[in-house]
Amino acid sequence: MPEPIEIQLKKGALELCVLALLHSQDSYAYEIASRLSDQIGMGEGTIYPLMRRLQSDGLVETYLVESPAGPPRKYYRLTEPGKRSFASQKDAWSSFSGAVDQIVFGGAK
Amino acid sequence: MTRQAFMARLREGLRGLPPQAVADIVADYEAHFTEGEAAGRSEADVAEALGNPDRLARELKAEAQLTRWREERSPSSAAGAVFAVLGLGAIDILILLPILMAVAGTLFGLFIAVIACFFAGGLLFAAAPFVDPPGGTVAGVLAGIGLMAGATSFGAILTLVSIGLMNALVWYGRLHYRLLKPALEPQA
Repeated sequence: MPEPIEIQLKKGALELCVLALLHSQDSYAYEIASRLSDQIGMGEGTIYPLMRRLQSDGLVETYLVESPAGPPRKYYRLTEPGKRSFASQKDAWSSFSGAVDQIVFGGAK
Repeated sequence: MTRQAFMARLREGLRGLPPQAVADIVADYEAHFTEGEAAGRSEADVAEALGNPDRLARELKAEAQLTRWREERSPSSAAGAVFAVLGLGAIDILILLPILMAVAGTLFGLFIAVIACFFAGGLLFAAAPFVDPPGGTVAGVLAGIGLMAGATSFGAILTLVSIGLMNALVWYGRLHYRLLKPALEPQA
């Protein structure tokens, strides 16, 4: 079982990661889920409650794209408020993580 | 777990949501299974990676109830939101419940008092010309109007306070609910 701090860190960072992925390119939930689950080890099912929340908060919107196999895929893209939210969360993250690094790893940086 | 069993438990957990919302959610997870199988994974593998369907259903349901509360300020959407947040285990129910009951009881009592006050004012207003109250008819009529106006404005303030308290509770619940915890911890 992961340490509580690890869970808290991932929980805080997940929304930022999703916004970052969508900022670089539009994507569909399965792809987002598999990338996040490979890279930061979160449960794939969790992406759906999060995507619904982002959508109801107006940060992302969806459109359908024909898929080579099976039914059309629901793609997500950032809205204007989504882009602004990403920019401010990114700034907050970078100043926070910078400050933590400074304290945890000492003055080496 | 098979795809069918996973979807059945998810549907079961989503009962109570509007059919359109359930259909959207179910379509998302069906698509996930389809994508997973196209990528060569087994049903059991995909279901395992998705996590516990009961837990996911609770989170999705809470999200839907909170959205409903934001769109529609009504006692029933408030109750739905409170129970959904409590259902997530975000707030310690044993600590919160007595406080919640006391606050809800007080608000309810105040609302009743406001309504009673309003009717008393109305009665005084209507009856003053006939019963000749102390201070004269005009004073009685004015006092009746005053009571009704006071009750109305106090009731309005009370409504605003109630909505504010609900929003605070929802905000707190959202901040603390363990959205990712079960997904990050290996399921037993």
